[in-house]
Amino acid sequence: MQLLSNSFVILWVICFALYYLVPVKWQWVVLTVAGALFYMIGTGGIPVGILLTAVSTYACGIWLNNSLGAQKKALSDCVNADKEEKKTIKLGFERQRRRVQILYFVFNLGILLTTKYTVVILPILQKAGFSSFFPDSFFARIVMPLGISFYTLTAIGYVVDVGREQCSASKNFWKLLLFLFYFPAVTQGPFNRYGKLSAEFEREHIFNYERMLFGVQRFVWGAFKKLVIADRVNIFVGNVFGSNEAVWGSIYALAVVLYMIQLYADFSGYMDMALGISETFDILLPENFKRPYFSTSVAEFWRRWHITLGTWFKDYVMFSFVMSGAGRKISKNAKKRWPRLGKHVTSVIGTMLVWLLTGMWHGRTAGYILWGVYYGLIMCVSLVLESEFAVWKKRLHLREGRLYSLLCMARTWVIVFLADVLIRSESLSQAKEIYLALFTRFHLREGILHVSSYGLSKYGFILLLVACLLWLLVSIREEQGRDVRRDIASRPMAVRWGCYYGVVLLLIITGIYGGSYDTAAFLYQSF
Amino acid sequence: MMEERVLEVLEEYCGEALDYEGDNMMEEGVIDSFTVINIVSELEDVFDIEIDAKYVVAENFRNKEAIIELVRRLTEE
Repeated sequence: MQLLSNSFVILWVICFALYYLVPVKWQWVVLTVAGALFYMIGTGGIPVGILLTAVSTYACGIWLNNSLGAQKKALSDCVNADKEEKKTIKLGFERQRRRVQILYFVFNLGILLTTKYTVVILPILQKAGFSSFFPDSFFARIVMPLGISFYTLTAIGYVVDVGREQCSASKNFWKLLLFLFYFPAVTQGPFNRYGKLSAEFEREHIFNYERMLFGVQRFVWGAFKKLVIADRVNIFVGNVFGSNEAVWGSIYALAVVLYMIQLYADFSGYMDMALGISETFDILLPENFKRPYFSTSVAEFWRRWHITLGTWFKDYVMFSFVMSGAGRKISKNAKKRWPRLGKHVTSVIGTMLVWLLTGMWHGRTAGYILWGVYYGLIMCVSLVLESEFAVWKKRLHLREGRLYSLLCMARTWVIVFLADVLIRSESLSQAKEIYLALFTRFHLREGILHVSSYGLSKYGFILLLVACLLWLLVSIREEQGRDVRRDIASRPMAVRWGCYYGVVLLLIITGIYGGSYDTAAFLYQSF
Repeated sequence: MMEERVLEVLEEYCGEALDYEGDNMMEEGVIDSFTVINIVSELEDVFDIEIDAKYVVAENFRNKEAIIELVRRLTEE
């Protein structure tokens, strides 16, 4: 079910009304039922994979909690034991927990990989002569549950947090289900932490007009980004990348720049909608974007883009690897061998691992793997050469100021531009063709002459420009630390409602709708 | 004494952390994950402690006082 569909809006309105009508202690039940309906209407049922993840996560959480309790009891029972003895007891419990967690990870990542990579692995197996074991009908039986990449990582995070005693396991299966499949966030995030989101669910939620209004405003603003910007750009980008004829380098350059805008408008638009819907229920979700294109470095870009995914990988993969036994051993040996650079070795391995996994998580093609390796390498180079860069900056008398920041931002855009060619191209050979075209047949004049041959008219470009400028204006205000919604709310009534109606009218008149007023699918939904 | 040594480690790897007065150093980008790893590794060597991944969370690295508190807790354990 799309957030921008009639059936979803009906579900939202009914859920909203019931949510504030039922007694406070039943509010979470309304959200759980709404989540189940969201899934059932959207996918025609509840896939088995989801139930397996939910039950295994619940069972693993409870088991870990019991193990931690048993460990505490065992330690308190031997007050007179020495430090070594206590350490042995603790290690015994920890080893047990690690084994159970590994089993849990293998099981759930197995479901994710089986459903996500079947289309890649099965043809290879069929070609290798195993077609009788894996006939085409086998494909048909495997369905990729909606949002599997999101809820699987959320569930893994929960199990790790329980094991690390950062939260207690949920004793109520249905409340855990609500956390894992909270409907505004289940298909594209943001990634939630059990400790924070469960506290939000437990809180008392009383109807607040301003909060509801702000939530709806944010939803509309997200829809504006999606329908007026992302889906309009999609027409041009889709036609350029799907073209069977040779395309001028300048057209490709424009298509990639527009794709950068499309991806941001589409994904951050969804986030605005998800966070806005949740806000109407008085449940605050974490921000996932903080104006990434204002970043002066790639590292900063990834701190501002898909923030909760970055934090997930940092906390559960990077730090887990570096602080593991293997990570510590590697670090120790590296420091002995290379006194100056050895300290970076585990960070470099951890970073490459994180980016490889990030690439694999985003997509199944070689382009995504290369995209991950590309960002990993850039991060590692900037880490190892950080001190050298500082020396060169001093030598060249580069002073930090507006111009310097702008140049650094432009550098970030170029790096992101080159990366996005890899993930938007239909194949690696097309990506190669685009890189070549950018340098060998750029032909700006030809590009300008043919720009309207790809489905977007002059009028369409002007509209796009106006919408992007409006978005930029809002972003600049936010970057200055202003709360735009509050700013508008404090204006006189005519200005206030002028703004609201202006955006809604622009959305209705200039939004891109399909034949049956359906919208294009969200890009991150396929991840 | 312990406090001073933690501050020395911070100064070596992230001078900005000493002047930072907020309470979200990691999320505000004052201290990135590479620096956190270097600081953790150095603190482990200096104080002969083991900082498990479960302690490397934004909460324990929100500012210099939180880091000092973390080291104090682990050395007392």
